[in-house]
Amino acid sequence: MRALVIVAVNVFREAVRDRVLYILVAFAVLLISVSFLLGQLTAGQDVKIIKDLGLAAIATFGLLIAVFIGIGLVWKEVERKSIYSLLSKPIRRYEFILGKYAGLALTLFVNVAVMTLAFYAVLAFLNTRFPAPMRAAWPAPATDPGMLLAIALIFVELLLVTAIALFFSTFSGPFLSAALTLGLWVIGSFNADLRNFEAVLQSPAAGWIARGLYYVLPNFAAFDVKAQVVHALPVPPAYVLTTAVYGVVYIALLLTASVLVFDRRDFK
Amino acid sequence: MSAIRTEALTKHFSVGFWRRRPYVALDALTLDVPDGEVFGFLGPNGAGKTTTLKLLMQLIHPTSGRAEILGRPAGDVGVRRRVGYLPEHPYFYDYLTAEELLEYFAALFGYAGAERRRRASSLLDEVGIGAERRFQLRKFSKGMIQRVGIAQALVNEPDLVVFDEPMSGLDPVGRREIREMILRLRDRGCTVFFSSHVLSDAEALCNRVAILAGGRLVTSGSLADMLAFQLRGWELVVTGLTTEALEHARGLGRITKATLLGGDRYALELPLSTPPDRILADLTAHGAQLGSLNPVRETLEDFFMRQVAAVKR
Amino acid sequence: MSGRRWLFVLLALLGGGVIGLQAVHDRAGGPPAAQTPAMLYVRSPEAMKRLALSYDQLLADVYWIRTVQHYGGTKLSNDPDKRYDLLFPLLDLTTSLDPRMTVAYLFGAVFLAEPHPGGPGRPDQAIRLLEKGLDTQPENWRFAQAIGFVHYWWLMDYPTAADWFTRAAALPDAPSWLTPLAAVTLAQGGRRDSSRRLWEEFARTAEEDWFRNEAQRRLMQLDAMDQIDFLTAELRRGRALPGTPVDPTGVPYRIDGGTVSLDPRSRLSPLPTGPYTLQ
Repeated sequence: MRALVIVAVNVFREAVRDRVLYILVAFAVLLISVSFLLGQLTAGQDVKIIKDLGLAAIATFGLLIAVFIGIGLVWKEVERKSIYSLLSKPIRRYEFILGKYAGLALTLFVNVAVMTLAFYAVLAFLNTRFPAPMRAAWPAPATDPGMLLAIALIFVELLLVTAIALFFSTFSGPFLSAALTLGLWVIGSFNADLRNFEAVLQSPAAGWIARGLYYVLPNFAAFDVKAQVVHALPVPPAYVLTTAVYGVVYIALLLTASVLVFDRRDFK
Repeated sequence: MSAIRTEALTKHFSVGFWRRRPYVALDALTLDVPDGEVFGFLGPNGAGKTTTLKLLMQLIHPTSGRAEILGRPAGDVGVRRRVGYLPEHPYFYDYLTAEELLEYFAALFGYAGAERRRRASSLLDEVGIGAERRFQLRKFSKGMIQRVGIAQALVNEPDLVVFDEPMSGLDPVGRREIREMILRLRDRGCTVFFSSHVLSDAEALCNRVAILAGGRLVTSGSLADMLAFQLRGWELVVTGLTTEALEHARGLGRITKATLLGGDRYALELPLSTPPDRILADLTAHGAQLGSLNPVRETLEDFFMRQVAAVKR
Repeated sequence: MSGRRWLFVLLALLGGGVIGLQAVHDRAGGPPAAQTPAMLYVRSPEAMKRLALSYDQLLADVYWIRTVQHYGGTKLSNDPDKRYDLLFPLLDLTTSLDPRMTVAYLFGAVFLAEPHPGGPGRPDQAIRLLEKGLDTQPENWRFAQAIGFVHYWWLMDYPTAADWFTRAAALPDAPSWLTPLAAVTLAQGGRRDSSRRLWEEFARTAEEDWFRNEAQRRLMQLDAMDQIDFLTAELRRGRALPGTPVDPTGVPYRIDGGTVSLDPRSRLSPLPTGPYTLQ
């Protein structure tokens, strides 16, 4: 357990040293400049657009971090052989894998938290620029805490993406891992369509395959409640709970598979 | 007790992309490294030295056979608390400084706080890394990385260290420092098991060696035993030797080779069959004076070449 | 080694958990996103064309797939007041990104004109889309003929339909049956036999299976209408029907007192309404 924490902290340190946190600056600049531009261009819809953009940006920047650090987590250590001296220390291979995962999860948490703060700060500022009657017409206040729900699900989604990237990274190179991870993310975002495919497909075998994939592939669409929270529509707590549990179980599955694969590996 | 013991340790790798076929990297290695010694693991490139060391460190899994370290199975994580390992051509996280790297590894052994810092700092002193310890490792030269590598292998005050080519990348000064450090480790009671293809290192350091070629153990044992049998003759240095006396000795077939060293100094090589005292008496009777008399042994290099050649044949 | 076996057991359990939770999701109706109105972020074809950079053809394909998905998905959903709100914007985007995608105009017009619940029932939008097609390909007789068809079948405006068939007949490569079709439409528009003729030509000349199947279904609907008229007349005359008559797809008719009607589960249901009771 101690070894796990030490490895995790080192992953976080690497991310900081590799200037990953600069992405936060990019986020803040994007959000602030867009809100400034919108102020010049449109009227009334600013807050809704900033909400859409902010949530999408948190998800996208998080996705970039999860994929592009995730694929290197294990691969880089093996490729550069730094793993030789590490694994000769009293650390079990599963501690290494889980430590790497926890480190990136920590990095993502810090990133998402800071982006969320910046997001609410921009919204709070925008809020001051509208008169009260205008604000009353909005479906939700500018700094609606309900959006935290969407951000929480985004965070679980990012953790799932990280687990996928880590899994691929235990046995393949960075380009293949990135392609597979992003590919799964894209397919997973169209998960609901996979279910309807059956009705469109001619052959029953293809229908079965589509149905099988619908159950097996990660359902990323489920984590997306951005539209609901922006329009202040209700998101049933049972739904959030099921989705979060789904994410956690899927992550556990991927981490178990990663440990199994990694445990048998030879570092030639 | 043995520091390292292997029994019929074997590793096959699959090679080839299309039709994969096994390649025997290590073939039934049975080895016993006694406690408290410096043990040299010798062999040409590709002999299977690094494979063996990685098997001991569980970086690769054996195809068959067993390995024990300090009386425990090599896979036992607990035993690694007492072992240090320097990989071949080590590489470390280049975003860390030397100090941070050592503290990172020290933390894995449970060192904390001020003790951890002290441990890192004294080790860096020991391997001769000065103010550079505050630089990120990406700025380090190959030789300095090698020193950091040795320091990290010693971070837990191990009872056994396994060094893969410890001298590689070092200049002559560095090599000597590492040699001295290996002897200090031995004096401290630590077993040192190192691989090398540089024989002078082994000759200078080891009690015992094992020679590996083509994945097989060629021979192993005490260096003294291996080489003592191989006494080849004597080298006699004399001064004031007259040409007649030399011709006389030559005529008797007692000298295999005579080399003029300068002035009237000669180095004479005597075959093993010639008792050196007799010929010395003979020569002194002709007015020569004794400079020195030394046994000529086979060097480790000669021995090595012979053994490896035998395997290749 | 036994630790490894436990890991495999854990792997199987977690795999089951994932599938089970997905099934729970499925039962609950999937993500709530599916229940909120679907969004089309960019509706302006001009803006999209600019955003598409050099990927306009590819994006057109993507939007075409989205169109089919949207149409098919809405059609299959059990929602009683399902809406096809995005259909026209999606088709507009698709055909703006790739103005030569003929299939998008022709299929799109069929989708748009289809009455609720099988489609949005917007023949006006169908005509708008086809006219847009005709703007980009003024020589393509298929667009003119399809416009005529919408006027004929959905708007029941036979003079305009005949006018469009005549225009189509004048275009290059137009099939020879268009001229007589125009004449028949003008003379006896709305009659079942002229409709039958229209569909027979479609079925004969269709290049796409989907169109041919659709034309054959329409022909079977016309047969069913004939059969219903015959059966109703027989009942009215007090004659007993021999057994249970079935419609052209093999589904038995519903006979309730003196009226004969299609089983709603038949794939021919609902039958077109309007002028077809006239012989």
